[in-house]
Amino acid sequence: MAILEVLDLKKTFKKSPVIKGLTFDMAEGEILGILGPNGAGKTTTLQMLLGILTPTSGTIKVFGKDLSTHKSEILEHMNFSSTYVDLPWRLTVKENLIWSAWLYNIPDRKKRLNQIRELFRLEKQWNMPVASLSAGQKTRVNLARSMVNFPSLLLLDEPTASLDPEVAAYIREFFANQRATYNKSIILTSHNMSEVENLCDRVIILKDGLIVGNDTPGNLAKKIEFSHLRLRVTKNLGELDKLIALRKLEVIKDGPTTRLLSRNNFSHFSSTNLPKKM
Amino acid sequence: MKLYRIWGIFLRYFYNLIRTYDRLTDMFFWPFLDLLLWGLTSRYLVSSGAIDNKIILALLGGVVLWIFPWRSQYEITVNLLEELWNRNLVNLFATPILFSEWVTTLMLIGIFKSTISFAFASLVALALYSTNIYALGLSLLPWAGLLILFGWVFGLLIAGIVMRHGTKIQTLAWISISIISPFVGVYYPVSTLPHWAQVVAHYVPASYVFESMRSLIMGNPVPLTNLFFPLLLCLVYLAIAMQMLYSSYRVILKRGLISVE
Repeated sequence: MAILEVLDLKKTFKKSPVIKGLTFDMAEGEILGILGPNGAGKTTTLQMLLGILTPTSGTIKVFGKDLSTHKSEILEHMNFSSTYVDLPWRLTVKENLIWSAWLYNIPDRKKRLNQIRELFRLEKQWNMPVASLSAGQKTRVNLARSMVNFPSLLLLDEPTASLDPEVAAYIREFFANQRATYNKSIILTSHNMSEVENLCDRVIILKDGLIVGNDTPGNLAKKIEFSHLRLRVTKNLGELDKLIALRKLEVIKDGPTTRLLSRNNFSHFSSTNLPKKM
Repeated sequence: MKLYRIWGIFLRYFYNLIRTYDRLTDMFFWPFLDLLLWGLTSRYLVSSGAIDNKIILALLGGVVLWIFPWRSQYEITVNLLEELWNRNLVNLFATPILFSEWVTTLMLIGIFKSTISFAFASLVALALYSTNIYALGLSLLPWAGLLILFGWVFGLLIAGIVMRHGTKIQTLAWISISIISPFVGVYYPVSTLPHWAQVVAHYVPASYVFESMRSLIMGNPVPLTNLFFPLLLCLVYLAIAMQMLYSSYRVILKRGLISVE
């Protein structure tokens, strides 16, 4: 059964179309990745799925119910975490989680908050004001807040951005376990290709407000042939020229970065260390 | 509406209150300062024979009762600003809470804080000037109710404007109710105003409360119309203000709550 059905979703800001008609669905227990360059519409899509941005047209059904008419009911079983959202900074971590928990109909809030504190390793920060936390710690608190209601559908907007590698790995494992143990459904946007490849069952690639790819990470990689390649060329420049000619790559200089764009429009190669010859 | 969600929103603002010293001092400092200044002015006027003790009660009663509209307006607008400063609107509205639950909580916080400030100010008036505000009797209850309603009207209207235009017009949150205060006649009878301003005052519900208070202090009868007409006005204004705020909420939902700042 589809836990989420999106049909011809469009969003226009001041006559400028940002989302141009997205149609996709998601099965229960699936981890769906949304990828795309900056401005592709990933965050806009997540905002519409959360009901904090009204679509210009199209429908969103979550748990079989229309989001526009059953928003409160649906959001009881959903949650989100985003790097673009802060928590009240004067409040302590504990206070932020307490008031957040009261917004949901949770049977034993105290027990749930104790679980969350342990799961997200927040014992040290528990009584500290959010303002005094590092960026990574704030991200962790945001993720903890997103789990207070034990959501069936979780939306994560760049969840491991600003986390150190060890904590990021722990968080990835945590969400993978949530799915494996409780059949949670997760939508995730990320710029981290290996994260998406490891976590997601399926990936939607957005470009300019349209879906240009919708498949498993493995199949997408086969179709695209290369997903992302970072080059550091120090010798044999002739070989690089051959590669550019062979793949019919377009060379674009953008400040200190030189980008090599492929013809299929959505895979790209970038490097900040290409030789001056280019 | 779900009570547990209203309690959750209340806790969010309560924690903010106890962690923010300027919000705490707001509740006590300004009422204290107003009472100190008006009390001393009244004493001077009494000692010079210009006024009698009844006028002191009218002046200090005005200071204390004005707390109700001021605080109930302030709590709605400043708590909205808190959400914008903290970029917390998304955290609120990406949850099951209903817009009406959030607005209801802000209104209830207005009652909670204005009652505390009123109680504090009435004690200060008693301690410093031996003026017992409670001598006004049970009339205080409907007056307080009307003034809170009036404060909500302003709070909701200004919140609607701030929602649409963001923090660049945040000063309105603090000064808005002061703009109407000359027409309310907190410290003087409405008859003191020029004719055109008296016409305006006729449509300002709070003006009836302060006129009634002065009538009662002077031993004159207070007609019931001074209660029902302003109540009717308040309810009409409140309905308009709520509609305007909700319309602003729909506008910002079209722009995206994440972009409101």
